[in-house]
Amino acid sequence: MNKKLGVYICHCGGNISDYIDVEKVKAAVAGEDGVYLAKTTMFACSDATQKEMVEDIRSNNLDGIVVASCSPKLHLLTFRAVSERALLNKYNYVHANIREQGSWAHSDDKAGATEKAVSLVKAAIAKVRLARSLDPIIIPSKKAVAIIGAGVAGMRAAIELADMGCPVTLVEREYFVGGRVAQWDVMFTTNQTGKELVTRLYNEVIARDNITLLTGAEVVANSGSIGDFTLKIKVTPRYMKEKCDQNNLLKAIEACPVVVPDDFNFNITSRKAIYHNFPGEFPQYPVIDIKNCTRCGECEKICSSVDFSQQEQTVEVHVGSVVMATGFDPYTPAEGEFGYKLSDFVVTLPQFKRLTDINKDNLVYNGREIRNIAYIYCVGSRQSEGDNKYCSRYCCTSAIHASLEARNKFRNVNNFHFTRGIRTYGKQELLYAESLRKGDVYLQAYEENPPLVEVKDGQITVTINDIMTGGREISVIPDLLVLVTGMVPRADNSIASKFKLPKGRDSFFNEIHMKLRPVETVIDGVTISGACQGPKNITESVNSALSAAAKSYSFVNKGELALEPIIAGIDKDLCTWCGECEKACPFDAIKKEKQGEKEIAVINNSVCKGCGMCLPVCPVNAINLIAFSDREIESMIDALVSV
Amino acid sequence: MASINTGFSKELTKFGAFDFNACYNCGTCTAVCSLSTGEDSFPREMIRYSVLGLEDDIKASLKPWLCYYCGECTTHCPQEADPGELMMSLRRWLTSVYDWTGLSGLLYRSLTASIIAMTLTALAVIAYAVVTNFDLEKIMHTGHIFEMVVIGTVFTVILLPNLLRMWNFIILKPGIKVPFKNYVTGLRDLVVHMFTQKRTLGCDDSQVRWFEHLILVFGYLGLLFTTVFLNWFSSESTFVIVLGYVVSIIIFTVTVIFVSERIRKRREMSKKSQPSDWMFVVWLFMMGLSAFAVRLFIDLGILQNNIWLYLAHMIILVQWALVIVPFGKWTHFLYRSFAMYFDAIKKN
Repeated sequence: MNKKLGVYICHCGGNISDYIDVEKVKAAVAGEDGVYLAKTTMFACSDATQKEMVEDIRSNNLDGIVVASCSPKLHLLTFRAVSERALLNKYNYVHANIREQGSWAHSDDKAGATEKAVSLVKAAIAKVRLARSLDPIIIPSKKAVAIIGAGVAGMRAAIELADMGCPVTLVEREYFVGGRVAQWDVMFTTNQTGKELVTRLYNEVIARDNITLLTGAEVVANSGSIGDFTLKIKVTPRYMKEKCDQNNLLKAIEACPVVVPDDFNFNITSRKAIYHNFPGEFPQYPVIDIKNCTRCGECEKICSSVDFSQQEQTVEVHVGSVVMATGFDPYTPAEGEFGYKLSDFVVTLPQFKRLTDINKDNLVYNGREIRNIAYIYCVGSRQSEGDNKYCSRYCCTSAIHASLEARNKFRNVNNFHFTRGIRTYGKQELLYAESLRKGDVYLQAYEENPPLVEVKDGQITVTINDIMTGGREISVIPDLLVLVTGMVPRADNSIASKFKLPKGRDSFFNEIHMKLRPVETVIDGVTISGACQGPKNITESVNSALSAAAKSYSFVNKGELALEPIIAGIDKDLCTWCGECEKACPFDAIKKEKQGEKEIAVINNSVCKGCGMCLPVCPVNAINLIAFSDREIESMIDALVSV
Repeated sequence: MASINTGFSKELTKFGAFDFNACYNCGTCTAVCSLSTGEDSFPREMIRYSVLGLEDDIKASLKPWLCYYCGECTTHCPQEADPGELMMSLRRWLTSVYDWTGLSGLLYRSLTASIIAMTLTALAVIAYAVVTNFDLEKIMHTGHIFEMVVIGTVFTVILLPNLLRMWNFIILKPGIKVPFKNYVTGLRDLVVHMFTQKRTLGCDDSQVRWFEHLILVFGYLGLLFTTVFLNWFSSESTFVIVLGYVVSIIIFTVTVIFVSERIRKRREMSKKSQPSDWMFVVWLFMMGLSAFAVRLFIDLGILQNNIWLYLAHMIILVQWALVIVPFGKWTHFLYRSFAMYFDAIKKN
């Protein structure tokens, strides 16, 4: 073991050298075994110093380097790149943090800080002496992506991936694609209807041979990991043949005796067990809702397309990456929350939007002509005491847009908005301005003094202490009260547990880094897009969908993946399988495997992140972490205590 | 507990208000206003009352009269909601609310009604001239008597009851207790503001505006005094004759400035002129000019042959006294000064 080592001790301007005597540190480590050169530098990260390091390593054939400077969080990648440029395997560089753990922490004790820095650098030298060159782990990656959810985000991501030449399986739980957007009528800013957007996307989806669309389909099991996911998908049939005579279908729907609330219209209307959402829905053939169907056979008598012989199927797909695009649910207020369920004339924003779409000439609900409409904002959002602390972002704009639609479409509509401050960010501000100019009335209160809703003899009274009018008590007696509800995660979010997807405090799916890695999850190979990640409008959903498509494509496009080699390894001889490591692993990377007569733990190299959680729980010390072996760590401890 | 009246916005637009619903309550208008104080904060609050249609609050408020329309709020409004013009419209609306006859409101809302009123008064004068067989002496004598009678009648029958109504809305109805002593001590403020409009000096814009207005007020009061009490047209006194010339010149010169400002639209306050604004300055101008001409014709001894001139002057005078003074913009002279009076007695 005659490694030639280089040691660089950084001043960091004065951040380090004002408290630590860097020259003294250099002198203390220069004589260490193997240290060929030791230097101090004003800024190790500067271009000039980086070039100097490359030159040193090359001309002196150094076998390893130590950089003592700031936290590796800041510059680990910088100096790994320096090593690589000097043709030195990057795992032969070890970092010592003498700023955050030295000068900054001990600015009151310069001598002590210097002493500590010497120890830290010596420990790093001890580690680099034992460092090995490592190569990335190469695993095959199947060039195919599964997208869960065929709303705007899912469909847009599918089209993008398909166009890059990647086969896509698009899995939709419902029988019709389009998700929430299919439920909306005209939308800001394009003035297109939700149906138009969905039609456009659907036509593009079916025009591509490499997209397989499964409707009525649910992922029931997932195994494998990045590069090789195996999804089991249960596909419920529509019990209808593809071609269907329109007249017979309408008669069959009429004949069906089963009436259930229509969730397409958020239960303000009802539908039959044989149904279709609207004439332009996709795929354009109806469904028999088998959960509610009584199999009376009335429809079968009228419509020859009804086919009860269709069977539920389970299909298996193999993909290299998965895009989650499962969307959101609208918040459902608790009974009595702002009068919800206390009157027939209290509805949620999504219900109101369906209502304005369904009504043609007059706005009539439950037999009452609606003229004065009150809107209470932030219902189920921005709850400082409740679960949903976040702002749902879309609701202010959506409510104002819906109220303007109602004003423009129906006669004599007066809108009264009870807000907590309007958040129509960006171009959506134009809508707010238009609403004001048209004479909509906006009243505002703080969260601690919300509007009060009273229901008495069928009459709703909304009272507020309006902070815009010096806290004056002002009341409105509306014909209809709309609760502007926000977004919450899907009520049935069981898909998350199948992928072990982490959720944030708001229960939406969580990204790795909100700003820099916004569509990746800690589960390698699984990306998230659209409102399953948190409240988003359509623009934002499609943005994130395209981003997720690009990211997922990067996992699969080369057919193989290079992974970080610092992972755990099992000593087969020592392991006796107790299962402790499996329990400790946060990434599900350890599985029991039979090897001959013996059961031992096996690490899935493509899933292991090298976090080291399994190491201390092993009772027989059968697990070692590459680059952090017992020998390496012990040698560092020796160096630290020997000073 | 107050209820919202969305119809009020529409009503106010008939008095000249424009797009004030666009207000998003940032309060920039109030922040830039040099007359707004912590105690009397405006114009945002008035916009808010107008948007919500809180009529009783507006009636009980003196704030529209505390604004002297420099227009800074309108210049700085990010929503172009024109708060300055809203305050102006509220003053017009309040004028119509104070007026027990309801004619003010009718004339403010409808240009047609104003034209009809002007035409009827003109016809009446002509009809009288016909009846007297165009006897100049008789007409001039009647004209002088008319002036005195009308001043008394308009004041006692229309303006005084309207002031009492204003007092009712502002002091009585809201239940404000004012000691009698205040009514006496406040008279000082009444007189000062009536004759000096000194609050205008608090506005940030050029003080030329205040000076022009002050001169006009004195010119107008001077002409009123000279013609009615000194009987300018029949006077032999050189002093009276010269005084009459001076004040009538003042009137038609200053009003020319005012009219040209409204045409050039340089200042926020002159950008949006309602018919009532035009009528006020134009009639004032014509009154000054025609009075000047009448006396000139008398001095040149040619009025007898130009009886039309006196008739024209008479028509302008009658229209002024029967339409503009009791039901038009003239009333701001009283309401502004009484607003300062009520403000003073409330606060003392």
